[in-house]
Amino acid sequence: MSDIGIAAISPARRRKDRLMRGMLIGGTVIALIPLVLIIYYLLLKGLGSLTGSFFTSDPTGSFFGPPGGIRSAIFGTLEIVALASLISIPIGIGVALYLTEYGNESTFANVVRYFVDVMTGVPSIVFGLFIYIVLVLSGIGGSFTGWKGSIAISLLMLPIVVRSAEVVLLLVPGALREAALALGAPRWRVVTRVVLPTALPGLITGSLLAIARGMGETAPLLFTVATANALTFNLGSQMNTLPTQIFQDITSPRNAIVSRAWGAALTLVAIILILNLIARAIARRSRLA
Amino acid sequence: MTPPDTDTQAEPKEQSQMSSAGGSPAEQADEAPNLAEMGVREGAGHAINVKGLHAYYGNTHAVKGIDITFPANEVTAIIGPSGCGKSTMVRCINRMHEEIPGARAEGSVSLDDLDIYGSGIDVTSVRRMIGMVFQKPNPFPTMSIFDNVAAGLRLTGTKSDNLRERVHKSLRAVGLWGEVKSRLNEPGIGLSGGQQQRLCIARTVAVEPEVILMDEPCSALDPIATLRVEELIDELKSRYTIVIVTHNMQQAARVADSTVFMLDGEVVEHAPTNDIFTHPKDERTERYVTGKFG
Amino acid sequence: MKETRHQFREDLKELERQVLGGLDLVVSQLDRAQESVTYQDIELAGMVVADDDRIDGRYLEVHQGILSLLARQAPVAGDLRIVAALLHVIRCIERMGDQCVNIAKLVPLSGYESPKDKQILDSIERMGQLARSQVTQAKEALGGRNVELAQDLVRQDVEINRLNREIFKRAVEIGDDIDMREWGMFMILVARCLERIGDNTVDIAEQVVFVVTGLFREMADAASPAETARTS
Repeated sequence: MSDIGIAAISPARRRKDRLMRGMLIGGTVIALIPLVLIIYYLLLKGLGSLTGSFFTSDPTGSFFGPPGGIRSAIFGTLEIVALASLISIPIGIGVALYLTEYGNESTFANVVRYFVDVMTGVPSIVFGLFIYIVLVLSGIGGSFTGWKGSIAISLLMLPIVVRSAEVVLLLVPGALREAALALGAPRWRVVTRVVLPTALPGLITGSLLAIARGMGETAPLLFTVATANALTFNLGSQMNTLPTQIFQDITSPRNAIVSRAWGAALTLVAIILILNLIARAIARRSRLA
Repeated sequence: MTPPDTDTQAEPKEQSQMSSAGGSPAEQADEAPNLAEMGVREGAGHAINVKGLHAYYGNTHAVKGIDITFPANEVTAIIGPSGCGKSTMVRCINRMHEEIPGARAEGSVSLDDLDIYGSGIDVTSVRRMIGMVFQKPNPFPTMSIFDNVAAGLRLTGTKSDNLRERVHKSLRAVGLWGEVKSRLNEPGIGLSGGQQQRLCIARTVAVEPEVILMDEPCSALDPIATLRVEELIDELKSRYTIVIVTHNMQQAARVADSTVFMLDGEVVEHAPTNDIFTHPKDERTERYVTGKFG
Repeated sequence: MKETRHQFREDLKELERQVLGGLDLVVSQLDRAQESVTYQDIELAGMVVADDDRIDGRYLEVHQGILSLLARQAPVAGDLRIVAALLHVIRCIERMGDQCVNIAKLVPLSGYESPKDKQILDSIERMGQLARSQVTQAKEALGGRNVELAQDLVRQDVEINRLNREIFKRAVEIGDDIDMREWGMFMILVARCLERIGDNTVDIAEQVVFVVTGLFREMADAASPAETARTS
């Protein structure tokens, strides 16, 4: 029935199709190469260092003798980022709530949004320098301390939290807010009892991603926390963190210490990876994002 | 529990809400507004009086001077082509219109003698007295069936000793009880469309309003679910005053005692439903109702 | 672009055409029945009886069409009133057809050779003309939604009723003449049929007023002088 009039694909089109496909796949592969190489090298160089004592002992700081593990670095990172999260996440969600529930399209809200966007682009070292000048040099509350690092990290995390929270909050259907308002609920209850619970999975996801980001930043920590070797839970003192540990170790002439750096890097990436996976799992089960 | 009175007269000293037949003192909410003091009559039904209502979205004049009375314990339908202002007008009655940025309303809307736009009136208590059911069923997704019905009471901070009783009563009132009584803890959004809408009605009714506004409540439902909701409306009108916006004229014809035809922000005709559909007075009503324009 | 509910409007117009056409059928039946009485034409009378099937057929068609329209289109307001009126009118048409048949059936019975009374014959002819004009006027009133024409039908009906009573009186008068007596009684029956046709046109007139105004008023006729108004 050759009269139907549906033409077959011409060979020229088929070639073009294949060319495009090839180029796109090629581009993707090229983009993936660095990522694959990074993971490969991390595993290659770092896997060997991951022994039991690696995680249970602190770096000794001595030039000779056993180098020690990275226990204090892990804990330091966890402590500092925990405090930073405690600061940035509530404030960030609060700002996002203001933008979506109360500010809407007002001039002030738009100004806030603009500045938040600017903040996402600020290099992390600038935050570090800012805290360095304002808090460290001025000598408020000691010189290099863990909590000052937390503040620097929280400044970094804040715009990320605000941005992602705003997106998630906007995804909450207006119909739900309407329903709650129409029942006679005051606006703050609408927010706390309806909007936040509905957006919660998305908010958690966004927060985890901000935390993952905060964990990996080195520059702010250098100027605010400096470094230490011993394990400490005192945020008022200098502490060790994974990024700074890596920074120090990688230039060492001793091979063992360089290996330790790789091991620390692998650990850091692993922690971030786990956080990301958790965030994804929550997002998949959520009904919104 | 005291035996129910069929003609409940509210006790003069205590705070009271309009009690339907079978109401008992134990069911009075502690935080309900004192209606008598505010000018809302006790006992029987409550009428809504709209005078000189104008509504705007920014500079757009959507409702252009409306005077209507919605009689107590009756169903009044509002019909008209898209954009005629019927939804806007209805949202002015429970002051939801002003929640839209840039929107405002002028004029007076009274529940019996209480002007709900008066200064010093708390918007949330207005909305407790005038409930609303929306076009698309919107149960709260994070809450169970039980919690959805109780949501109205919890969100308004109403303390209630017998929350469970009130929730069960509401579910019975909307005819959902039999279908959900064994799964009250399951999520509200697991129900079918028609059930979800009845759940939303139960949620509205649990707060015990005086008036129920419905904005195209059946447009998202299949025909059988629609008929069930219409039956429900017929039952509810003995206890509430109901205003229903609908673009389905057959529905208005089935369900309403009187019908209002709106066009371009104004009321063209307001008459008993039978008259509107057998011999309307205005030429424009005749043309709309017979489908000569829409 | 077609107007909305195009098919519905077409269907409704078609139904109305059929009803108005039914009134035409009645007129032609009436003419022939009238002629067969005047000239004692038994063959013509037989044709009238046979052709009533056409009116009955028209009734069934319109009835079915109306049911279908009601079920499918849910007419309201003005459309609803015209549909209800058409149903009523087609029944009147069917009855008027039956009255024409009754007249025709009286022809062979009334005697070929019996002497006839001129006065009665004239009155019958006059009644027939009036009835015919009433039917055509009813058709015009309905088709044109003309309330004045409709109300005027009552006036004409008064005249037809008067003629009916006249014929009755005259027939009683000639009753002493044995030859003419039987013929006279048959003429009374013919007059009665014509009078019923007149009443049916008044019914149609009431429907016209209902369609236009939405009110149903029973119109005064000779039988019931008081006018009672009922809203639909």
